[in-house]
Amino acid sequence: MPEVRLSGLEKRFGSVVAVTEVDLIVRDGEYVTILGPSGCGKTTLIKMISGIWEPSKGTITIDGKDMNGVPIEERDLGYVFQNIALFPHLNIFENVAYGPRVKVLGKEYIEEIPRRYLGMVNLLDRMGLFPSELAGGEQQKVSLSRALASGSKLLLLDEPLSALDARVRMDLRYELRRLAKDLNLTVIHVTHDQEEAMSVSDRIVLMRNGRIVEISSPETMYKQPGTLFSANFIGETNLLEGTVVGTGGTTTVRLRDGSNLTLNSSGFHHGGAVVVSVRPENVYPADEGIPVRVSRTTFMGSYVRVLAKTEGNDDLEFDVPAKQNKCYREGDELWLQVNGNMAILFIAPEEGVMEAIKLE
Amino acid sequence: MPNIRLEGITVSYGRNNALDSYDLEVRDGEYLCLLGPTGAGKTTTLRTICGLTLPQTGKVIFDGKDITSTEPEERKAAMLSQGYSLFPHMTVRENISFGPEIRNWGEKERNESVSSMLDLVRLTRRADSFPHELSGGMQQRNALARALASGAEVLLLDEPLRALDARLRIDLRGELRSLSKSLGITTVHVTHDQDEALVMADRIAVIRKGRIVQIGTPREVFDDPRTPFVANFLGQSNFVNGFVRESGDRTILEDRVGRLMPGRASDLELGDQAVLGVKIGQTQISKDGEGHLKGEIERMLFEGHYIHVDMQVEDLGRFACKLPPRKMEEFDTGEVVNISWDPHEASIFPYPEGGLENELRVE
Repeated sequence: MPEVRLSGLEKRFGSVVAVTEVDLIVRDGEYVTILGPSGCGKTTLIKMISGIWEPSKGTITIDGKDMNGVPIEERDLGYVFQNIALFPHLNIFENVAYGPRVKVLGKEYIEEIPRRYLGMVNLLDRMGLFPSELAGGEQQKVSLSRALASGSKLLLLDEPLSALDARVRMDLRYELRRLAKDLNLTVIHVTHDQEEAMSVSDRIVLMRNGRIVEISSPETMYKQPGTLFSANFIGETNLLEGTVVGTGGTTTVRLRDGSNLTLNSSGFHHGGAVVVSVRPENVYPADEGIPVRVSRTTFMGSYVRVLAKTEGNDDLEFDVPAKQNKCYREGDELWLQVNGNMAILFIAPEEGVMEAIKLE
Repeated sequence: MPNIRLEGITVSYGRNNALDSYDLEVRDGEYLCLLGPTGAGKTTTLRTICGLTLPQTGKVIFDGKDITSTEPEERKAAMLSQGYSLFPHMTVRENISFGPEIRNWGEKERNESVSSMLDLVRLTRRADSFPHELSGGMQQRNALARALASGAEVLLLDEPLRALDARLRIDLRGELRSLSKSLGITTVHVTHDQDEALVMADRIAVIRKGRIVQIGTPREVFDDPRTPFVANFLGQSNFVNGFVRESGDRTILEDRVGRLMPGRASDLELGDQAVLGVKIGQTQISKDGEGHLKGEIERMLFEGHYIHVDMQVEDLGRFACKLPPRKMEEFDTGEVVNISWDPHEASIFPYPEGGLENELRVE
């Protein structure tokens, strides 16, 4: 059963360090996404795992075996690329039968295996068509069946949904997760899309500048992110700078507008510069609290996002259900409360907040 | 800035109609999003507006004036395609001043225009950088500045955010919209991303198979979809198939196993075959209490803002809903729950020609 271990992995191109100090264990049957902005090293990492590129330093073991010098075709893994790579002159059935045929399995397998995997992605009725006759999402499902038909229990997905329409992507990501779990596959999936990562993964590996920033479950990364960068990357958040004015079991922070917030965090020093991160769904209007003035409202479907400014000129966003009777308008003045259990406190970064969360 | 009207436009490539007697109006200074799946005719619409594609029939009208046969360079419409097509060997400043038209201006006038564009897109400090030294977002602003520098009055954006990372895309939505709004320029923005359209548009035109299916404010199109396709494309819906058993201030459908389901008023008649659609965000579940349907929870996925819940409903298939994260502990996979919705949130549609599955296809 495939467990993938990376230790001390590094890749250099000349003087450029693309990936460095990567240690990661992907457990058997686990679905792990490698998430990060363009240029963070995630593609380099998956190319090393697959054997397309050799690491400059460090080791990769799959199922306990050292992969040093082992070429891609001997690593026993399925690989799906962003750019759909089907054979244009073979029909759908033949494309999926390619793997079992290369493996020189018996004739009955060459008939049965493609049917089994095409059935799993609901494409049995398209078997006789050529790739160009299918839509993008369907083509990518064929690539997936082909990767699975090789019989490998380790699946590498390199931005498999990025070339597809947003709506198709949404449907396919649930499908990916369902298939992986039904077949008990170990999956390593590279993506720049935080929503995609959140809905398919058991664990997310967040990368930046060639290094791993944080490894945690989607829920932990969203609710208890370990760094300012993760807090902002994994979903939208309000970042408010302030100073610690009270410590003990809780921490009280004075914001730039002079109002105080008490949060369920500890370990911060009195007088220290800090940043509060709180997601818009954890900020709500109340009879007292931080005074703000509404500067914009945006309809988001099931909720309305309201952007407001504090007297300290900080932006503070909050959500109200779209069906609620109360409509906010530009210029409205109100008070906001922050749910102290759902807000995270960070020590203010030396380089400044903007630099710490920069996406590119 | 011009008001744009397309009247009865047909564009065909071979046997296929890319646009099929197509009508569209974009108001003066409006930010309109043209939303639809790949191959719906979105890019063809932009090309027709700026004159790169000549329609077989129909008229293109700017401010009441028929410009169907006017050359592209005389239309004052700037199109920004998916790739930014900046000249790699020219700096940011040179790229802007190389824009069509502006090249031939006097030096002083040209420099002034370029400086104000640099300022507008916040690239003054990077004026002497080359495109490859810029981030994706900056390259996009550079391309935008070049398009605007020649005094365009209509801005045509073809999936302007597609090449960027998902997280960055969210940050740049607001920026792009405010740029267009601050110039008061009439903008048509093509996208396949329903969230992008909801957040950015004054009005959304949903396009499918070369026709506009519905046009309205984001709230109108989301809350009151005209077809099952629109209901599902913007915000995902659950659907039930049945026959009208009661009509009046609400409609009641009965499905083939006799379950009764309430929805909004409609002008369908008793006995008509119909489809009820309710947004997954408006679908509720509970362990006790009344429900219109029963479902077994198949899986629960944490998605940050929400938990996405998939259920299996007997004789119907998959139903989904979204729960606030604090409800994660209340429910479990394998549990049977009651599914309900507010009848005023459920749209009623006549049964689509060609079947429901075909109607809902997103590609």
